[in-house]
Amino acid sequence: MSRSTLAILAAVVLLPLVMRHALGSEIWIFAIFGLGLNLLLGYTGLLSFGQATFFGSAAYVAGWLLKHLGINAFAALGIGVAVGAASAALVGYLCVQRSGLYFIMLTFALNQLFYFVAYQWTSVTGGEDGMPGVPRPAFLGIDFKDPLHYYVFVSGLFLGSLWIMRRIVGSPLGKILQAIRENELRAEAVGYDVARFKLLAFVIAGAFSGLAGVLYAMLFGIVPLEAIGFVASGNVVFATLIGGSGSLYGPIIGSFLFIWLSESVSTLWARWPLLLGVAFVAVVLFFRGGVVEAWSRFWSWRSSRRKI
Amino acid sequence: MLYALMGLGLALITGVLNIPNFAHGALFAVGAYLLASAANGIGNFWIALVVAPIGVAVLGLVIEYAGVRRLYAAGHDYQLLLTFGLALILSESIILVWGPVGYSHLPPPILRGGLDLGFTFYPKYRLFVMAAGGLLILLTSLFLEKTRYGAILRAGIENKEMVSLLGIDIHRLFTVAFALGAYLAGIAGALTAPIRGLSPQMGADMLGIAYVVVVLGGLGNLLGAIGAGLLIGIAQSIVAAYWTEASTAVIFAVMAVVLLVRPQGLFGIR
Repeated sequence: MSRSTLAILAAVVLLPLVMRHALGSEIWIFAIFGLGLNLLLGYTGLLSFGQATFFGSAAYVAGWLLKHLGINAFAALGIGVAVGAASAALVGYLCVQRSGLYFIMLTFALNQLFYFVAYQWTSVTGGEDGMPGVPRPAFLGIDFKDPLHYYVFVSGLFLGSLWIMRRIVGSPLGKILQAIRENELRAEAVGYDVARFKLLAFVIAGAFSGLAGVLYAMLFGIVPLEAIGFVASGNVVFATLIGGSGSLYGPIIGSFLFIWLSESVSTLWARWPLLLGVAFVAVVLFFRGGVVEAWSRFWSWRSSRRKI
Repeated sequence: MLYALMGLGLALITGVLNIPNFAHGALFAVGAYLLASAANGIGNFWIALVVAPIGVAVLGLVIEYAGVRRLYAAGHDYQLLLTFGLALILSESIILVWGPVGYSHLPPPILRGGLDLGFTFYPKYRLFVMAAGGLLILLTSLFLEKTRYGAILRAGIENKEMVSLLGIDIHRLFTVAFALGAYLAGIAGALTAPIRGLSPQMGADMLGIAYVVVVLGGLGNLLGAIGAGLLIGIAQSIVAAYWTEASTAVIFAVMAVVLLVRPQGLFGIR
């Protein structure tokens, strides 16, 4: 077992001892969300500014079914993954043909489309007030209403997602995506259908976002309108970038920092998004490359000193 | 008209600077709030209408000079994060300064009430906005098409390296484009204030529409952005007359449909 795997397992075990279980669950949920984005941003080189579309759609659909039809938790997860993937296929189909700035703007504008549908379809989504009353049903006699049980459930799914993502990244598919990131024209010339592989990456990322969305809805018992808003899309980009988008573990570290920091700041001041904005600007101007890169720079600096 | 102004400003920034400006909506909101404050403070709407957008342009100047400028070599991801962070800072600052509750701002006395056009009765202020917006768009496009500096700006969209090889200070060009884009956002916000009132989230709502306008107009196509802005404004008011709840979502749906048929946008060449 590698050192990073061990570190993550240790974090999963230790987190409930040092913070509220709900906060711990939120960190891993956000990490699943970030893993999905990172497949696009870090591995395929596609900056999607509309990940909340898939996160929010899955949360709304699965949350509604949980609330009104009383489906069980695993069915909700399955549906969430399916909704996330399907909405990503739809959005991806429109977006992958374009690149660069145009791509970012499209993912954002389509995010706004979903946002306004959720905002104005108040009879289903509750509009601005959100959709409250999403239950957390028991499964096989395990009561998920207990925060610790739910934490174990979420972190198990997180570890599963991480394992799957590692397989994807290491697979031929992952290599093709990285080839597209490095040189799209060459990947095309070698004979890969670039648009199709981008779409595939989009759908996979959407499925991860959908999973995170359903877990989020069950965690808080409500689907707030913000879950599908572009600020959520921005937050996940930020978390992935502060962690370091080049590495599989970057978004995990980023989610931890992001959720933990925003939780601690939000209890201090109602206008905490202002500080968040300042943090965004500061990271961009002074701290590019993220934590993982800063860490590995630090290590190479130390080992180079040791050699002397 | 307002959509066209927003879209034109954003098209200028995205086109010349090649960065995604997610602070554009926040600049719009700042323009609206500055107008309301200045009009109440000075007591004269017209002076406020001149001063407020200039304030926003100065803000744009500062943003470009202190922040955006350092990131031209960085990827879009960092540029996005910077402008997104700035948008958060600006909209939260609005709440800090002016409070979280929205309020309305009345147009100046001469423009209150409506005008009988024979076939229909129309609010005077809206007519004024149409005229002012049309004039501004005309002036901006004349500036872009007919003046030397406008030609340089358009050349900057086409080929930045060539422009700087010809001995033109490309960085100053970027600063001017950003400030001009911010000015257009600011004046759109200022003109909007008496129509829709002021609220802290007005910028976020407008941001999406501005992007739709740019996407529909075709990236880097300034005149296309004007056309798309007008088209969307008309489409929205038609839908609003029949199905009010869907009027905003329709804008985005129209965009999706258009992109399916014409991926390069309505007036896009590339």
